Amino acid sequence: MKGIYKNLRKDFLVEYRNRSAVNISFAFALITTMSVSLVAGGTGLEPHIHAILIWMIIFFSGMNGLAHTFIREEDEKNALFLRLSYQPEGIYISKLIFNIIFFTGIIALICPLYLFFLQTKPQNPVLFILTAFSGGLAIASITTILGAMVSKAGGKGSLFTVLSFPLILPVMWISISNTWIAIEGNKVPDYRNILFLFLFSGVIALISYLLFRYIWVE
Amino acid sequence: MKVHKLVYILMPLALYLAFMWAPPAAILGEASRILYFHVPVAFVSVIAFVTAGIESIIIIIQKNKNSLLREEKAYNATLIGLIFSVLTLVTGAIWANLNWGTYWNWDPRQTSIVILLLIYIAYFSLYSALSDNENRGKISSVYLILAMIIMPVFVFIIPRVYDSLHPDTLINADKKMYLDPAMKITLFVSTAAFTLLYFYIYNIMNRISVIKIKIQEKHHAL
Repeated sequence: MKGIYKNLRKDFLVEYRNRSAVNISFAFALITTMSVSLVAGGTGLEPHIHAILIWMIIFFSGMNGLAHTFIREEDEKNALFLRLSYQPEGIYISKLIFNIIFFTGIIALICPLYLFFLQTKPQNPVLFILTAFSGGLAIASITTILGAMVSKAGGKGSLFTVLSFPLILPVMWISISNTWIAIEGNKVPDYRNILFLFLFSGVIALISYLLFRYIWVE
Repeated sequence: MKVHKLVYILMPLALYLAFMWAPPAAILGEASRILYFHVPVAFVSVIAFVTAGIESIIIIIQKNKNSLLREEKAYNATLIGLIFSVLTLVTGAIWANLNWGTYWNWDPRQTSIVILLLIYIAYFSLYSALSDNENRGKISSVYLILAMIIMPVFVFIIPRVYDSLHPDTLINADKKMYLDPAMKITLFVSTAAFTLLYFYIYNIMNRISVIKIKIQEKHHAL
């Protein structure tokens, strides 16, 4: 427990000092949201187009920062020190918590900005918020373990996006469809999709927790 | 004689039953014969991906025992699974064109098989990116285990949650197979033939892997 807290504190301190992942992801989120609103702000897009655009912006903003937590440890040569000092499971949990907080922050920035600039309003705000949170949680759960794998491959180019995209697609599929329902407000919301996303996150996090040791320990 | 060599008998028999013996379906006509190829190749692709996942679990459990051969076995199973998935996609597209008038219409079942393909194509990207890493076997095994866990979402959950034009699957809500007895027999024979074909190819590829590893070991010893 102490190890998790210490490592989490270290990650936040490092991020606070250089703000590389946060800056890149937030800047990307801002630029893409502004670009979309500049091009399509006054055109009155269909709810499903809004849902797709929001999740595409969320996905690519996350891709710029989520793998960073592990790649940074390898780049800055901290990985060996971490391996010697903490249990692999503790490192995994701290990185997972960091990624969840980080990604929730990105989503909390993107969604209001998007809704404001595109002048759209979800008819079912509860479903909208729940989908954004549960979808973000699922994406953070998958990308944490994939980030660890990519860091071992030297963080090569677009490998993280190549690995993440297909595994994240079921989450994106369900999140887009739920966001569409939330914006449109005509259909009866199916909260089982939210439950599925939470369960999916839980299963992936549990499997990752059990298998992380085999990626981390050389 | 090894069991998988029965493919020499079962495959011609399956072809005969599919084209000559089984009657055409009531509404779909002769186009329905693609069922005897589409369903078995889809089944085999799932078997291959599960084999790769199981090999990966063994790599993780057994520490360093024949891990290179296991790694090769997982790789071979994934490669065969990928080829059979492409065949599933192609046979499905041909059937879609005959019945829906288009090869591709983003039906949930078509989409999920494409995503499954992408997942396993990504495995090969990871595998080659880790070529310098001594821990490649274990890292790529973790990916295959994750992929095996996510696979049922695409194969069983998503196509059932979203509206699909795809005919009712053999594993359906009623747990009944709505097929003529002759069609049912043909489908079973064809599925058995393709499964044996998979094990036949898998066995050959594994034997090649053993030779490759032995050559590498001799090369390192020199």
